[in-house]
Amino acid sequence: MRRPSPGKNILWAVLSVPALVTAVRIATQPDLRLDELLHPTGEWAARLMILALMLTPLATIFPRSRAVQWLVRHRRSFGVGAFCYALAHLVVYAIDMGTVTLMLAEFGALGIWTAWVALLLMVPLAITSNERAVRALGRGWKRLQRLAYPAALFTLIHWMFIHNGLVAGLANFAPLILLQLIRIFLVVRRRSGEQNLREKYQ
Amino acid sequence: MRKILVATALTVAAALAAPASATGKMTCNAGPQSGWKSMDALKGDLTKQGWTLTNAKVDGGCYEVYGTDPEGRRVEAYFHPVTFEKLLVSRRGEILFRKQ
Repeated sequence: MRRPSPGKNILWAVLSVPALVTAVRIATQPDLRLDELLHPTGEWAARLMILALMLTPLATIFPRSRAVQWLVRHRRSFGVGAFCYALAHLVVYAIDMGTVTLMLAEFGALGIWTAWVALLLMVPLAITSNERAVRALGRGWKRLQRLAYPAALFTLIHWMFIHNGLVAGLANFAPLILLQLIRIFLVVRRRSGEQNLREKYQ
Repeated sequence: MRKILVATALTVAAALAAPASATGKMTCNAGPQSGWKSMDALKGDLTKQGWTLTNAKVDGGCYEVYGTDPEGRRVEAYFHPVTFEKLLVSRRGEILFRKQ
């Protein structure tokens, strides 16, 4: 059994900061409404998910950056953190709504069912976020983790349509979208470069 | 590459810092606030009609309330601050009522 690295502990401390801030707000603001906790929990879930998905393109663009390498090694923590905030988001939502009937009544809204889909897609990722699952699933693990992409897409739609969040949702996702575009550009250029070389020496 | 990244980061930061005051979902040109009826009066009226309110504020020059409407739907709604006319009712971004 490996001991957790100090880096991982520091990372988890950093990832808990938004939760701690929320806890302090609950403790110090007696007139705090539940719906005021909805936005921050959801926002941090989305942001950590975005961060986790930014790491692959960042590693493609800056292959020698040690900071990026460190972040890539700890990517799973960002994903698990995102899931924890998403769960907190769901709990706040359920308490705020009060009854299952009210929740079902608005299930059909584009801004709502997309959130349920995003959360459901994250469940298998969270379940397989331990070493044993990584070993057991082998190459399938990586393939399974790609569910994070549709989860992110549904999260973006949820954010954009839930409460007129068109600008805020897109602004948070902009870095990820841009990095993915650069990554695709680099990969395509590299592939065509390799092909040119092959054609030259064949 | 780095320049593009920095430029994008700055643009995103600027977009995030932009004031989020009016949502643009509804605007009421109801004149100066001194001519408005009070928000408490609106809350009282709505409660009498069967609403349960959780929050009320001003948005786009209108009164915007959050809560459960008389039909038992969890909604947000806009009212004219002078006439108290119902202008817009929406649930999670889904328009349930819009004044014609």
